[in-house]
Amino acid sequence: MLVNLPGPWSPLLGRLALSEIPYTNPILAPLFVIIVLAGIALVVGITYYGKWGYLWKEWFTTVDHKKLGIMYIILGLIMLFRGFIDGLMMRTQQMLAVGSGHNGMPLMGAIHGYLAPFHFGQIYSAHGLIMILLAATPLLVGIMNIIVPLQIGARDMAYPYLNALGLWITAAAVFLIMISLFVGDFSHNGWFGYAPIFELAYSPGVGVDYWIWTLELVALGTTLGSINFLATVVKMRAPGVTWTRLPVFTWTAVSANIIALTSFPCLQVALALVGADRYLGTHFFTAGFGGNLMLYTNLFWLWGHPEVYFVILPAFGMISEVIPTFSEKPIFGYITMVLASFAIAGVSWIVWLHHFFTMGMGPYVSTEFSVATMLVGIPTGVKVFNWTFTMYRGRLTFSSAMIWSIGALFLLLIGGLTGMMLSIPAINYMVHNSVFVVAHFHMMLLCIVYAVFSAIIFWFPKVFGFKLNEAWGKIMFWLFSAGTFLVFFPMFMLGFMGETRRLDWPFNLQWAPWFDIQEVGIAVYVLSVLAFLWLIYVSIRDRAENRVGADAWGTSRSLEWITDSPVPFYNFAMVPHVNHRDEAAWRREHGFSDKRPEKFAAIHMPNNTPVAIVIGALTFVIGFGLTWRIWWLTVAALVLTVLVMIYRSGKGDPGYIITAEEMEKMDRESRQKMDDGHAPLPKGGGYTGGTVTAYSAEVGDPGSQSTPPGNSRPLS
Amino acid sequence: MSHGHSNPLQHPEVQMASRSSYLAGFVIASLLMLAATILVSGQVLPPFALLLTIMGCAGLAAIAQIYFLLHIDISEHNIWNTVALVMFIPLFVITIGLTWWMFSQLYLRTMPMIPGMPGMH
Ligand code: HEM
Ligand SMILES: [Cu+2]
Repeated sequence: MLVNLPGPWSPLLGRLALSEIPYTNPILAPLFVIIVLAGIALVVGITYYGKWGYLWKEWFTTVDHKKLGIMYIILGLIMLFRGFIDGLMMRTQQMLAVGSGHNGMPLMGAIHGYLAPFHFGQIYSAHGLIMILLAATPLLVGIMNIIVPLQIGARDMAYPYLNALGLWITAAAVFLIMISLFVGDFSHNGWFGYAPIFELAYSPGVGVDYWIWTLELVALGTTLGSINFLATVVKMRAPGVTWTRLPVFTWTAVSANIIALTSFPCLQVALALVGADRYLGTHFFTAGFGGNLMLYTNLFWLWGHPEVYFVILPAFGMISEVIPTFSEKPIFGYITMVLASFAIAGVSWIVWLHHFFTMGMGPYVSTEFSVATMLVGIPTGVKVFNWTFTMYRGRLTFSSAMIWSIGALFLLLIGGLTGMMLSIPAINYMVHNSVFVVAHFHMMLLCIVYAVFSAIIFWFPKVFGFKLNEAWGKIMFWLFSAGTFLVFFPMFMLGFMGETRRLDWPFNLQWAPWFDIQEVGIAVYVLSVLAFLWLIYVSIRDRAENRVGADAWGTSRSLEWITDSPVPFYNFAMVPHVNHRDEAAWRREHGFSDKRPEKFAAIHMPNNTPVAIVIGALTFVIGFGLTWRIWWLTVAALVLTVLVMIYRSGKGDPGYIITAEEMEKMDRESRQKMDDGHAPLPKGGGYTGGTVTAYSAEVGDPGSQSTPPGNSRPLS
Repeated sequence: MSHGHSNPLQHPEVQMASRSSYLAGFVIASLLMLAATILVSGQVLPPFALLLTIMGCAGLAAIAQIYFLLHIDISEHNIWNTVALVMFIPLFVITIGLTWWMFSQLYLRTMPMIPGMPGMH
């Protein structure tokens, strides 16, 4: 042992002991029982219906980017729910605890409210970490995973196996944080951690270790994913997809993943140093022995700020796809849209210090970072104006996807303006660490959630072949918006009244009415969750009536809308030849919508592999072993991981070939499954002369070199 | 798809990989880190000189890793490597430079050096 561990340790079990299982906790124990029962029911159900083989073959070992994307989204939605429950518990605690005097529940060991401070601390720490990294990030990565290859006409990601690996490592992180509920505790130092309280001397439990390894795992998974996205967009574009024909969503995915690739390593290094402090006894972030507390804060936000733009940029991309479709106009200012994305990505690197203006580095540094932060407003403003100009004089359809996107714009406005306020050091000194900041970033993150729901509704028919129920999508929208309003506007008020963040006991009785309003808001949110579940149920029940053709909305624009809905596993029977930025709209206008490839060619697809899920499971074991300091387990899992990787690299994946005849048959079947005559499609004339290519001539597989646009002609 | 038409063994990054270069990168980086550790734990040099020396070691280790392990250089066979390198330089300057500036300003205000006091650096 390099450090003095408080408490017992054994070579076999590390710090793990029966007493670490909180079976006396009146919330966790019943929850544990419920989860175990549900788990058993699930296993029995799957066994009864004999679905294990199906799950293993079609999902667990898949390398198909669409299925991986769906699993990312399911993971993200589950964690969104878990994070929501955390939020509900925090709101209820504050509502119950507000005011002086002993109003607590002794049964729960609480002097105020129903949660002890130690428990409350774990909840807010887990809530923040989960929502940003295990809900928002997987949701966005999932949607990018499904849509980016489709928008550039690729058959899969550049590295399908790496893609699966990213998913399963993210899943390992999810398991790690979920198991911290029932085995040991979680960190209580906030989602970003503070030096030196996360040092072993001040947080002797395993909570901080869970926090470190969960973050390390998501960081790893996301970094791998970002490499994959960039390689995919650079190398896998179909013939004709020049850089100026990339849809805006793909552009935002590129800019976001550049940020991810360059910033996530900072987080990994910062946490590795925290790990060195806790495991090896170094002093990077202690107050004495030459350490520096602020070094941690600096390193963390060096990643932290780029990360918030990593999550908002794809959301901007989604809005940029939905609004033109339902305005029946191409996006206004494509070039400025792309430039704005990169401007935001670039500026996101020079503003991180606005998260700790109050540290006291003086006027010069603060001014630089204040000005840089405000600069972000310019490209963001450009985007907002572009969206409004897209809608201006458009033929608007207020479908449910559209109203979620418009809702996102309102939240962006409020979040952006409060962000501008926060970026002024003089104001920041007043409201830093108050719930005003919390309200600001919730506006921003909810903007993402709105965009994600919009995107899910928008692209759902592409992936599953039928639309979600419009009416319930709108009901959910209004409930969700009412909840947002009721929870977060009081939060801005409370921030101005001086309520600091993370109070398990808000002592000021004057705040009570605001907490009550927030609790009502949470109740409305609960209704919106129910509406969401009902939306899913109703849509699946009525799926036969809501089947769609390739162009699900009739006014869709980009390339993904020319392939069948649901998208077959090979994406495009023949790699499309792209003539225009808004290829689907262009084909519709020129009467090519129904054009199918005339001849087929053999295509090459990657094989499924169990290696990714195995490595994912092993990384979970590594994280668990490190958390509990079970060295033999950690080393064994690490060695196994390396062996499995070597095995996989030695074997490689030759892939398999689908012959042209098979392709033709599958294409016919896929077309028959699809219902095409659902809506009269607007058909325009206008295009005269010249040769137009709808599908690339020679091969089904564009190969690794990017192909020049060929004989297509740019259109205005 | 990860499998291009061509033989993966012909890819430039595979061609450039060799056991000796990996070993060299690993050994050089390890030695430099070891040297820095010894210098710091032994307090061999006065504080400021120590700071400069270990920074020099870190810089050399970074270059060795970039060259020997990642095979990133400025030759033409792999344009994307060069792009990565070019992107890396401004990021490096921004992150390290602004951090340095910020800490120097912070120390100016929060860590006045009183003669005889054991310093933080
Ligand atoms: C117009 C752009 C924005 C500006 C000017 C801005 C400004 C700021 C400032 C100055 C703070 C520090 C407040 C403090 O702690 O005193 C802050 C915090 C925060 N912002 Fe923003 N922000 C912007 C956009 C965003 C976006 C797009 C997101 C996320 C999607 C975001 C998420 C956050 C988070 C998570 C925090 C607080 C983190 C924490 O302390 O736990 N912000 N913002
Ligand atoms: Cu920030």
